[in-house]
Amino acid sequence: MFELVEATHLIEIPLTVEIPVGPQHPALHEPLLLKLHADGERVIKVDVITGYNHRGIEKFAEKNTFYRDIFIVGRVCGICNAVHANCYVRALEYILDVDPPPRAKYLRVLAMELERIHSHMLILAVNAELAGYETLFMYLMKDREYVMKAKEILTGQRVLADYMMVGGVRRDVDEVKKSRILDIVQRVEGRVRYYHSVFREDATINKRLRDTGRIKQVDALANSLVGPVVRGSGVKTDARAHDKYDAYNEIPFNVITEDYGDSYARAMVRFGELYESINMVKYILTHLPQGNPVPDERKLPRRFPEGESYATVEAPRGELTYYVSSSGSDKPYRVKIRTPSLNNIVNSTFAYVDQMIADVPIILGSFDPCISCMERAVITDLRRGVKYQIPLKVLGGVKK
Amino acid sequence: MRPALLKEIIKGIFTKPATIQYPKEQTLIEPDFRGRQYADLKKCIGCSLCAIECPANAITMVKIPDEYVVPKTNARRIYPVINYFKCVFCYRCVTVCPTSAYLVTNEYRLASSAPIDSSQLSLSTTTKAGGA
Amino acid sequence: MTATSQSLVDSLKEYVIKSYTMKPNRVVIEVEASKVREVFVKLAEVLGKESFYLSTIEGTDFPEKKLIRIDYFINLFKLDTNLVLRAYLPRENPIIPSVIDLVPGALAGELETHDLLGIIFEGNTYLRRSFFVPEDISSKGIYPLRKDSGV
Repeated sequence: MFELVEATHLIEIPLTVEIPVGPQHPALHEPLLLKLHADGERVIKVDVITGYNHRGIEKFAEKNTFYRDIFIVGRVCGICNAVHANCYVRALEYILDVDPPPRAKYLRVLAMELERIHSHMLILAVNAELAGYETLFMYLMKDREYVMKAKEILTGQRVLADYMMVGGVRRDVDEVKKSRILDIVQRVEGRVRYYHSVFREDATINKRLRDTGRIKQVDALANSLVGPVVRGSGVKTDARAHDKYDAYNEIPFNVITEDYGDSYARAMVRFGELYESINMVKYILTHLPQGNPVPDERKLPRRFPEGESYATVEAPRGELTYYVSSSGSDKPYRVKIRTPSLNNIVNSTFAYVDQMIADVPIILGSFDPCISCMERAVITDLRRGVKYQIPLKVLGGVKK
Repeated sequence: MRPALLKEIIKGIFTKPATIQYPKEQTLIEPDFRGRQYADLKKCIGCSLCAIECPANAITMVKIPDEYVVPKTNARRIYPVINYFKCVFCYRCVTVCPTSAYLVTNEYRLASSAPIDSSQLSLSTTTKAGGA
Repeated sequence: MTATSQSLVDSLKEYVIKSYTMKPNRVVIEVEASKVREVFVKLAEVLGKESFYLSTIEGTDFPEKKLIRIDYFINLFKLDTNLVLRAYLPRENPIIPSVIDLVPGALAGELETHDLLGIIFEGNTYLRRSFFVPEDISSKGIYPLRKDSGV
């Protein structure tokens, strides 16, 4: 017969549950696997597993000529395609020792700043959507359409602006186009001020974005984070101010920093950069120098001299670097692309520790992930919005 | 704190939606949008530079059928045919042609189920021998 | 070279084998592979930890010289210059000590270079294949960016 004995101690061993966020997840826009090890609701450790979107562009670029690579490299990322093409073209110009005319430099900066405006509006809208505020997402996207129209007037297409060429840009602007772009930018500025006040006052955004994913300045530098992420933690570094490429030595602008280092500070840095970009666009359109910015593509050299160069550019997401090395033929010997999302996503797993599980998409969204930029080789994967059931029911059965 | 978008939302109930009902009304597009391009055979000399430089390998050089009249400068009697399913509309072919023989349009409605290429458009720029 | 970069090269003088400029105006210093960690420690001493960050790690394959070259691009943003540390490794046995405990930001660059070129960073426990490269290529032991890989 059994004897009933009174239990004197109940030993509890806390479970850490491994929760996959991704690769297909409604909170992420591109495939990425974050394996969270969670104890209750707190995240303890994160593993980043990538490779779902790898396309082999660095190897591919060695098999094509230098000029074909300008268009291939512009298709690494859809949102930051003007800055990729610009960085590659400037690396080629350094090897050739060619200086483009001043009007071409101003027009290049115009295209890049318009791209920065629409990219920042996109990521702020995505931040609002991840916080649950879909109405704000829709309103921001509506105003972003005006900026896409401005890009179409300038470069010829809304998204993929194949605008850069060795020695200048590929088409010119006249007075009618300049006044239309100026009208659009002035209308967008009023709307951006309104959305800035929404972000500052609204209850949902303040409660979800403040104090999540706090990064200290020392950690941000040691882990090589770049872009608005590190500027939100107080470090004043910007590739436009250090390298002063194209026309940035003549256009006045400020480098925006915030001190606190959480997701709210990063969103505020992006708003500050929006105002700076709008002012830069207005300055460029009123101070454009004269001349002919379009090079004759038929007279460009086919074979490049031997040499190597290293160019940096400030993409909307951070610092983007290109290393191009040529060995005297018409194809490059090595092209190395280091995108800002590579450093920001892979090195930042320490920012999720000790946060709630529900904050993970918010933190990832405030880093501005551009996974296609990060991995450059092709895999086809079908993205359906499969909802993941987080298995917290397992925890529900354990008695506390 | 009151939701700050409330005034906008209430105004938005009474204004027209921002969507363009696409098949009934057309989108407004710029006249120099990069749309469908094709070669003008009255100026083409058959040098194949566009086929060599295309980043997407979308251009093939095809022999011109015998009944068409082309200028004497096109000695090999070949002309470029663009496969619009592979073309990315970067306009490298347009800018690199030595005789500026490409005609550009802003036609963007190119979705189709059968493969489309530029052979009919290019051949329509020249005439058949004997007039037709 | 400007005055600041010249003084930088002078302070690292004991490690420099050769130094020249890369276009447009970056300072390149060739060092020995085993001394890379000491250069980082010296930079942190001379300039302070808060004034630079490691920007890129890049590897190039030279099959006819039988060497693999590895470059560390460091962004010294307080001085407005970029510094490049260059080291050559033998192609059959490319091993170099890892800098991940000094500069944790080297994780992304080291993982990528190991996966694509096959350089082994000693001391880095996170190295694994298939970080970027799809499974069907990495399972055959091919490093895609080498010139003879056939990809």
